[in-house]
Amino acid sequence: MQAALDAGDCAAFRRAFESLSEQMDAGLLPELRRLTATAQSALARFSAEARLDKLAGHEVPDARKRLTHVVKLTDEAAHKTMDLVDSCGPLVDEAARGAANLIENWNSMTDRDVAVAKYLEKTRGDSEVLRGNLTQLLMAQGYQDITGQIIRSVISLVDELEQVLGKLVRIAEGGEVTNIVRKLPDHPSWERGLGPQVAGLESPDAVSGQDDIDALLSAMAAGK
Amino acid sequence: MSSPVKFLVVDDFSTMRRIVKNLLQELGYNDITEADDGNTALPLLQAGSFDVLITDWNMPGMPGIDLLKAVRADAKLAKLPVLMLTAEAKREQIVEAVQAGASGYVIKPFTAVTLKEKLDKMLAARAAA
Repeated sequence: MQAALDAGDCAAFRRAFESLSEQMDAGLLPELRRLTATAQSALARFSAEARLDKLAGHEVPDARKRLTHVVKLTDEAAHKTMDLVDSCGPLVDEAARGAANLIENWNSMTDRDVAVAKYLEKTRGDSEVLRGNLTQLLMAQGYQDITGQIIRSVISLVDELEQVLGKLVRIAEGGEVTNIVRKLPDHPSWERGLGPQVAGLESPDAVSGQDDIDALLSAMAAGK
Repeated sequence: MSSPVKFLVVDDFSTMRRIVKNLLQELGYNDITEADDGNTALPLLQAGSFDVLITDWNMPGMPGIDLLKAVRADAKLAKLPVLMLTAEAKREQIVEAVQAGASGYVIKPFTAVTLKEKLDKMLAARAAA
């Protein structure tokens, strides 16, 4: 090319230039693309590994505590339900037994009015207790909402693990690198909701119960 | 004995909506509508004439705190009594809810007695207003 330039030969210069361009297309550009892809892979692998590091070091142990808490809650709910069922049985049995007794002995009873009055009084009282137990049985099913929220958060973790691991496998195989859809934010904002308190993972500034909240609300109202 | 008070109960878990609905019915309230998210609740509120909103916080579409803020920002709905019923327990969250205009805050797990107490308080305040 230089020789053609020195000789003032435009045609020769152009031919030499085109030849050089072809060489670049054939050799240089693919090489540049390969280097770029390698650099991208390295970056992607780095970010995936960093993410995996955080997931393995922090989120997975958290998830273990979360699922342990789910087991605890479902165990407690099942026992509470069965306790309440246990307490309802005798009440109903008593009412049936008392009624059967009155029916059987109706004709031979001397103090029917008194007996019936006593039975009705007892059954009314027991029915109120039974009603209360049924309401508590209803409330005991509230565990499903809380355990459901916790389980969903662990599903999000599993989703992200799957994506990160899949990405690492693809990078290792030299395949295409796509972006991971982040499921878990680095700093969860409590605007979206943080989920129920989990044993072993309690927030330091979480309230301890309804009484604590009522006290806080009163203090706020007084401060206004 | 049934009262004409109209409730909207919002929670993404159907079991929780059912528990709250049953409790309300035990207390004598029978006009109860359900929604599964802030997104589905807001149009219902804007269209209907609800007297009380009971809402969860943690919901996938529009969380309860955003529903509360949307209600308070809407001239038609601004005075609606809103009870937060949620497992969210951080102090700052409770403060934010109250500052955003929540009429009450009940934490899960809760008792039937607590719910009745807070409801009575809210309805008395509404009647006095």
